[in-house]
Amino acid sequence: MTTTPAPEPLELVCPAGTPAALRAAVDAGADSVYLGFRDETNARNFPGLNFNRRELADGIAYAHQRGAKVLVAINTFPKAGNPGPWHRAVDDAADLGADAVILADIGLADYAARTHPDLRRHLSVQASASNAEAIRFYHSAFGIKRVVLPRVLTVAEIASLNSRIPVETEIFVFGGLCVMAEGRCALSSYVTGLSPNKDGACSPASHVHYEEQGDTLVTRLGDVTVNRFASGEPAGYPTLCKGRYVTAGRASYLFEEPTSLSVVTMLPELARAGVRALKIEGRQRGRAYVAAVVAAFRKAVDAVARGEPVSVDGLAALTEGGRETAGAYEKTWR
Amino acid sequence: MGKRDTARSSGPAPQLSPVLFAGFALRPLPLALLQPILGVAVRAIHQRHPDIFERLADLDGPVYLVDPVDLPFRFELVPDPDRPSLRALAEDEDVMPTATIRGSLLTLIDLLEGRIDGDALFFSRDLVIEGDTEAVVALRNAVDGAEVDVAADVLARLGPLATPAGLALAGARALFSRAAADLETLRSAVIAPALRRTESHEAAIRGLEEKLASARPTRRARTGGP
Repeated sequence: MTTTPAPEPLELVCPAGTPAALRAAVDAGADSVYLGFRDETNARNFPGLNFNRRELADGIAYAHQRGAKVLVAINTFPKAGNPGPWHRAVDDAADLGADAVILADIGLADYAARTHPDLRRHLSVQASASNAEAIRFYHSAFGIKRVVLPRVLTVAEIASLNSRIPVETEIFVFGGLCVMAEGRCALSSYVTGLSPNKDGACSPASHVHYEEQGDTLVTRLGDVTVNRFASGEPAGYPTLCKGRYVTAGRASYLFEEPTSLSVVTMLPELARAGVRALKIEGRQRGRAYVAAVVAAFRKAVDAVARGEPVSVDGLAALTEGGRETAGAYEKTWR
Repeated sequence: MGKRDTARSSGPAPQLSPVLFAGFALRPLPLALLQPILGVAVRAIHQRHPDIFERLADLDGPVYLVDPVDLPFRFELVPDPDRPSLRALAEDEDVMPTATIRGSLLTLIDLLEGRIDGDALFFSRDLVIEGDTEAVVALRNAVDGAEVDVAADVLARLGPLATPAGLALAGARALFSRAAADLETLRSAVIAPALRRTESHEAAIRGLEEKLASARPTRRARTGGP
């Protein structure tokens, strides 16, 4: 008599911008923690954030002692003529015992595959690989084991993709959203001269200005007014894609509204679609956010594993603009 | 240095809390009396959490104005890696901070001790920041990563006095909790009539909206993309 092996439980991949956030994530039930070095080699290169080498070594030790993994995001694109910082980041992640690196650039993926063949390689959402042909290429050329899918696919499309690729898929389930052009967006570069894809920060804080005009909060990026929030209106990030612009005499969100992705109630559906790992966005958020969101998703993932209904509450206060969306997973606009 | 900040011009309104009343009580006292306590606190944090100052090392000597809206004074924080300082300032004292962080005292303490997420506070408008955003973000990240516990940090510096001071602090916290609960009861009682009127108005508006919607001709459903 043969039995069908039980499907692997969903892996909960959680953000950490500081060692304290890493400990909060692990203590709240993260299966894996993803993080970056304190430089432009990762896509959350914010002031005061991220890990130096000693902190990474300590963080890996803390996580491993508690059965959690550490994934190092080296997911910006090396600048022409200066691949050194990116190569050193891969070398140091390998030497310090990281469980995987999360890469976006083809050249860096090649470097990692040749230099550290035993180091597990994941493909960052920044690579924007959203079809089977692209993902199979990354797998065959660079031994990519997992792809973080861009936030452009419906659940049905993810299920179809999973049946046609030889690698695991990881998807975002909570947190901030981009305008579905990850790794290719130049809006912030256009205004600030700093590229999210090379310098590691969308809407860098050095170019952000907040001004209270009476009860109205005005947010600016460089010389561009991004939004004006009336008294009591929930605010959002000062990213250009979530700006409210005046066209034809009317102010509206032309690209995207300030809202956070939240699909906790869709987890059973996502598990059936063959997704292997669930990613929580927010390395730039505080450890209180990390602890609350990870705990809520730990509970939900465990409920899915037991075949029980999923419920969640208490996360709305942590969302951008105080609003949630299922994003492309539902594509209600189609 | 940033632009001149002489007084509160904006920010969240103070909440009815024991902090507000404590502020009224403290108003007649000279701020110099506070200085020794602030000095001990900042030295304790500097000693126990050097990582905070290391994370701010890339900035160009920032000066922060920390402004609890429910107290009659503000704080000037200079996170110098070798000699950090924290100074109480009168409401109308002229300062030139790199950045200003404004919120209720309890919100600011929760933020300092990592019990609350700074972005969430910003989204809800419970926290106001002005000036150099990079300096504020760096401070927020540095502090959040440090696991500061102000009371424990200060008590650790008191040596043999730590135990009695800890007991006194526990007593003060219990008193504060009771006072906060009493004030919440008072607040609910005071605003109850206004709340009832607001709910009544909202119900009337909803009724009018429904009537208006049913009177309008049905519009053709949209079929296009975003």
